[in-house]
Amino acid sequence: MKSDHRAPLVRRRTFAPGLFSVTFHAPELARAVAPGQFVMLEVPERIRPYLRRAYSVADVEASRGEVEFLVRTIGPGTAALESLPEGGEAGLLGPLGNTFSIGDLPRGSRVAVVAGGIGVAPFPLLFRALAAARVAGDLFFGGRNVRELAIRDRFAGVVTGETVLSTDDGSLGERGFVTDVFARRVDAGARYARLYACGPMPMFAALAPIAAARGMPAEFSTEAAMGCGFGACLGCVIPATDKAFVVTCVEGPILAPERIRWNA
Amino acid sequence: MERVTADLAVQLGPLSLKNPILTASGTFGYGLEFTDFVDLACLGGICTKGLSLNPHAGNVPPRICETPAGMLNAIGLQNVGIEAFLTEKLPKLKEIGVTVIANVWGDLEEDYVTVVQALEGAEGLAAVELNISCPNVEKGGMLFGNSPGLTASLVARVRRATRRPLIVKLSPNAPDLVESARAARDAGADVLSLVNTFVGMAIDPETGRPLLSFGTGGLSGPAIKPLAVRMVYQVAKALPGVPLMGIGGISSLADVLEFLAAGATAVQIGTANFRDPGISGRLVRELETSCRERGVTPSSITGRALR
Repeated sequence: MKSDHRAPLVRRRTFAPGLFSVTFHAPELARAVAPGQFVMLEVPERIRPYLRRAYSVADVEASRGEVEFLVRTIGPGTAALESLPEGGEAGLLGPLGNTFSIGDLPRGSRVAVVAGGIGVAPFPLLFRALAAARVAGDLFFGGRNVRELAIRDRFAGVVTGETVLSTDDGSLGERGFVTDVFARRVDAGARYARLYACGPMPMFAALAPIAAARGMPAEFSTEAAMGCGFGACLGCVIPATDKAFVVTCVEGPILAPERIRWNA
Repeated sequence: MERVTADLAVQLGPLSLKNPILTASGTFGYGLEFTDFVDLACLGGICTKGLSLNPHAGNVPPRICETPAGMLNAIGLQNVGIEAFLTEKLPKLKEIGVTVIANVWGDLEEDYVTVVQALEGAEGLAAVELNISCPNVEKGGMLFGNSPGLTASLVARVRRATRRPLIVKLSPNAPDLVESARAARDAGADVLSLVNTFVGMAIDPETGRPLLSFGTGGLSGPAIKPLAVRMVYQVAKALPGVPLMGIGGISSLADVLEFLAAGATAVQIGTANFRDPGISGRLVRELETSCRERGVTPSSITGRALR
């Protein structure tokens, strides 16, 4: 059941300026959340921002009752979170949305996890589940430059397969878009039972045909501006193939690329 | 010890409500989205998402953006249509014991009448609220609300089509709100809801393009509260005796009391439901406590600013 958890900040870890992790004490939420889900977060008593912001749950430590988020500062919502002192409280409304599917993957199978920039946010929890299921996951993590990949430290010992880094400017790892790096791997013979991806829309648009051409099932963790996060405002729709729009917050955020109308 | 509960019941013309806290159309889905957060049966009522005869897809995204102390939306009245509402939503609401007000809209006068007729046989509806004030559709909606002549004609036709209490939700964008209110009342409206959203706009400073695909949107949230309070006061003063539901940025008990004092008999909670989905139920409890402690009823507060 979703509910509004008032939770104190217990830990902050800064990877680079404007790129950080925050961990809250929210035991009920920590027990309830599944990989791919999100919460609507507010730093209370602030008129700006007025609406909550959607954050993918990055990881949970159920035994300690902790819930972690990976964040890049981009506006007033993320800035409020960046300046929240330890012990300061946030409102975490969740868990919300659907989940990555993992249960159908056979032991010993291999999956690809493709992340663009802060799109890497939901993946520590996914890797935790993949580890439990004995599934190898290769992380393809791309960004514009080495600074954007500072958060890679968070994935040391987390990834259950190989980690492939790439930057647009070549300042770290392979040079080029993460989608091209991924495509080259697949062309060279890498086979994956599933592709999980999270990043900006152009990244999804580039990945969709790569997966489709190889018959690779894919799950994209999508993002749209959300007013509420639980299906009331209908603000977060994405053009769909099976009907006019999908409501991202309740029918997603995890969507198969076949459901998204790319040319809309 | 048994708790003595204050009597919060209010009467708006033919419409009796257990308390004056309702939720506003477009901000509360069909109610069922909120069952984890609110005991829907404790509310004075819920106003459904605006219903049309057929399912309606709404506008292409982006549909919302944040603004200082509020938001702009141009959802475009996406809804499941009357049939799905009657078969999938209403029975569940009835089972929970919710006081349901069906908010309806159409492109043409004819469409409003057809929708209201389709609802006429349904059990478990307390009232109908006519949306003549949505700023985010090309046809219908606000076009009716912005002209007292069109308002009068539409309300009169719908009035003949229903025996239910008829609420008309007015547009703050009308050239003269009091004239629109008078037109709606004279044509047979039992209750007036005011106000819907204010037409606004936000532009991306980088690209110079509107942030909403529709271009303009409806402004809501605390940013509009003083405007809405003034409008409720104005209409209450001009048309004494017409029951009013106040709407506009209500986010606290103090806001509720403010709207009551301005002349509203009941209020609708809108945008605050997005950021704080439990707020409506909490306001019922807070109002109950406040009335009990002060030895007053909501009705006795109504219109205090006018006296």
